[in-house]
Amino acid sequence: MLRSKNLVPRSRLLVANSVIIFVFTILLIRFFHIQIYGHNQYKKRADINRIRAIPTAAPRGMILDRYGQILVDNYPTYILTGLPNEMGNENWSFSVISNCTAIDTAILIDNFDRYFRGRFIPSRITKDLTFDQLSCIEEHKHELAGINYIQFSERSFPSGVHISHALGYVKEIDRSLLRNMSEPEQYDVGDLIGWQGLEKQYENLLRGDKGLSFLQVDAFGREVGKVEDISDIKPIPGQDVFTTIDLGLQKTLEKAMSRYKGGIALVTDPVTGQILAFVSSPDFSPDIFTGNTTLREWRDIVNDPTKPLLNRITNGLYPPGSTFKMITAIALLEGLMIQQDEEFECDGIYQFGDRVFKCWKLSGHGKVNLDKAITQSCNIFFYQAVQRVSLNRFINLCQNFGFGSKTGIDLPNELAGLVPTRDYMNRRYTSRGWSRGHLLNLALGQGELLATPIQLAVYINKIATKGKTFIPHFLLSKVPESTNSINLNEETWVNVEKYLFNAVNHKYGTGLAADPKINGVKVYGKTGTAQNSHGDDHAWFVGYAKDENQMASTIILVENGGGGGKIAAPIARIAFKHLFNKNIEDRLAVK
Amino acid sequence: MFKAVFNQASDMPISIIIFTIMLTCLGLISLFSISMHQFGDLAITTFTKQLLFLIPSIVGFLTILFIPKYIIHKYIYAAYSLMLILIFVPYFFDTIAGTHRWINIGLPVGVQPSEFAKWIMVVALARYLSDHNLRIKRFTTILFPIFIALVPAIIILQQPDLGTAIILLTPILPMLYWVGARPFHLFILVAPVLSIATAFHTISFTVWAILMGSVIYLTQPRLFFGVMFYFGNIFLGLLAPFLWSSFRPYQQKRILTLFNPELDPLGAAYQTIQSKVAIGSGGFFGKGLGSGTQTHLKFLPVQESDFIVSVIGEEFGFITISIMLIIFSLFLLKIVKLAFLAKERFPGLVLIGIGTIFMAHVFVNTAMSTGMIPVKGLPLPFISAGGSFLLSCFIMIGLIMKMSDESIE
Repeated sequence: MLRSKNLVPRSRLLVANSVIIFVFTILLIRFFHIQIYGHNQYKKRADINRIRAIPTAAPRGMILDRYGQILVDNYPTYILTGLPNEMGNENWSFSVISNCTAIDTAILIDNFDRYFRGRFIPSRITKDLTFDQLSCIEEHKHELAGINYIQFSERSFPSGVHISHALGYVKEIDRSLLRNMSEPEQYDVGDLIGWQGLEKQYENLLRGDKGLSFLQVDAFGREVGKVEDISDIKPIPGQDVFTTIDLGLQKTLEKAMSRYKGGIALVTDPVTGQILAFVSSPDFSPDIFTGNTTLREWRDIVNDPTKPLLNRITNGLYPPGSTFKMITAIALLEGLMIQQDEEFECDGIYQFGDRVFKCWKLSGHGKVNLDKAITQSCNIFFYQAVQRVSLNRFINLCQNFGFGSKTGIDLPNELAGLVPTRDYMNRRYTSRGWSRGHLLNLALGQGELLATPIQLAVYINKIATKGKTFIPHFLLSKVPESTNSINLNEETWVNVEKYLFNAVNHKYGTGLAADPKINGVKVYGKTGTAQNSHGDDHAWFVGYAKDENQMASTIILVENGGGGGKIAAPIARIAFKHLFNKNIEDRLAVK
Repeated sequence: MFKAVFNQASDMPISIIIFTIMLTCLGLISLFSISMHQFGDLAITTFTKQLLFLIPSIVGFLTILFIPKYIIHKYIYAAYSLMLILIFVPYFFDTIAGTHRWINIGLPVGVQPSEFAKWIMVVALARYLSDHNLRIKRFTTILFPIFIALVPAIIILQQPDLGTAIILLTPILPMLYWVGARPFHLFILVAPVLSIATAFHTISFTVWAILMGSVIYLTQPRLFFGVMFYFGNIFLGLLAPFLWSSFRPYQQKRILTLFNPELDPLGAAYQTIQSKVAIGSGGFFGKGLGSGTQTHLKFLPVQESDFIVSVIGEEFGFITISIMLIIFSLFLLKIVKLAFLAKERFPGLVLIGIGTIFMAHVFVNTAMSTGMIPVKGLPLPFISAGGSFLLSCFIMIGLIMKMSDESIE
């Protein structure tokens, strides 16, 4: 049975030994090649494999008023996230969360998809969890695999003022936004970015620099702890931005404007260009952009016929009406086309060609000189006097005062308005389609002319400072930039100022209601009642007040408000009263 | 009886035992390292499981020592038949991990009968080839051994378990060679396989065709046979790509899946790259016990069995890998030497067969871990985790002890 002898020639042993030695030599060489020769390369690969740099958010800077009162702050909220890879039954999880938070499942799923970045990266489900909601979710934790909550800072607005159009808002970056960004490397999904207003304008100051936290991750991208040999890079918080806003004044004017359907109240310092108050009414609470604003609330705001989202100061286009008469006066004075005491007859009606122009005072002003024409806002005077001025000269003056171009205010998306030059008119009506009657309209700030309130502010500031004003701005630390220079005779400036003074102080002045009657404070101004094809007249007041220490200009507009003297001027008085109050304590919003 | 066993034991090659202990310890250290960062019940880490599996393994080893050599010789065909039935049994159980490899015997661990098929097949083959009436120089004689190996291999291939099926086929050639089959006959056996395998790559096929031609020219078979054989193979090779493309895509996929059932969802390339990164980042001295980042952060797939070499490479470095490979080669050289010194043909053949099985495991496992061959899940003897395989390895060590006869020296 085991009889067969094992007769194996020695050569077979040698062959077998050679095969074994050959195979193992090959294996040894292979290991040598990988472990010794390729060591550096593979070591690098191994480190990339295991280390992940996680950005840590930098707190966004605060926005403050000129006295350091907080306009925009950060407020910690909780957001709920889900790790897609660890979530078992997603639909069940969402329905549990929906029960806890009373938010519709569809919204939760929608959010989840919007922030989805991969199976191993947490995606946001909802935010602004209350303590009750958190404890409810904590109770159901066993059913909610992969669901976590993290702290997150959100913008808050403790001051109580809206000032929403100036502040703007931040937006959270989602996937589609990140794809369309010009410099996406700075941001990540879930970061906040200034999207409108000052938040956008000073994004670079407010944002701060993100830190980096180095985490060890496993093959599934799960974090398993800190990397010991590399220390974290701390985030650098965003800078606080001091604005030129006077919170107390802002609050007062917002309250005053809230009585009207629409309008603006703008207060600037002509000497520095600083913006003290910025009310575009109607406005909205700035926190509608944070938190869970429902679709319906949104729709209400977007579809509101009064357009609360429109920034009327920089993007509202209006005919400036009679407030524009100083341009005409300056054109006449500069061209020496009129004598101080030259009079025109106003009987309430003026016929030019086949058109009839009316004065606001239908009984007529009688004999009117330039001073009286501005003080009492006589139209007929200007209809007649302006005919002495060439259109080009007039347009040129408008442009010198800043109409038809952006003022350069430190807010994004400002509009340029419209100054109807000869070219423009030819293009619009053909060269035969319009006549000098057009100039008559321009003299009263009507017709094609459209201006933004911020342009009017620059215009009145130039008058107040004899052309030496600065571009309106919000950033307190900003070195003011000069507006384009304008060279007028000293006498012209003095005369125009005299007329504006009379308009507020003369017993027949249209702007009497703008004077707060404070000792040592002189008030200058011009009312306007601009005709408006869409409805009732817009009420305007542009003017300024000064004492030996300070100066402030105001632009007031009440849309469809009626007479400028009756409606707009009293609001200017409120602003002046607040500003020239000797008691600094009273001027602070927080008492 | 015990005295006889003791006497016999004193004659046994002690170096085989020493190598086995060293390799088993290396395996346990590696598994201990893997288990260091495993969560869950402490009692059921890979390491403790492997420690427990050592008990039946040693029992199995000792059992073989107590069975006389002639009993093994006498009943091996019966054992072979039983084995064929056993490897069928898993088909009656539910699949585990998508395959019919395990028999569920009510224990927390399943039994994998295909592991035992390896050495039962080797012993059966050895008995057939050691028949003194065997006329090994005739070609028809060597067809039956192929049949012995092929039957269990095909059954196991269906489980599906390509790795084990290949392992089952590897001992045929060395054993035939050892027993004195004509090398040309062996060449004829291998040729068709190589013809099909090289057919998909033009240069390989050309090289193979030239090689085949020169072998036929040098061995000078009868002209008719030589020409028929040569062109038959060429024809087979040329036909293979056409045959392949005539399959529908799902059929092709089924065949590919058969050859690589453990295809990772992330792709086999991922496994190979991660394994190389782990081994390469280990360097000369390694990162130290329990400090392998690739291992513990789970970048390394199936690290406790198929890719255990990567763990050793990462944590203990090239120095340990070299020592391990040297031990394996000394171990195999010793087995071959024992086979050479055996008095009878039967034990010699058993030793050669078992040596081939060990060597195939070591080569496939390490070559796969270093990206030399495609990913094919095969464990590393004594080192990889796995109860049935460890038991099988220890039984084979028992057989080596039993079949060697050092006293003759």
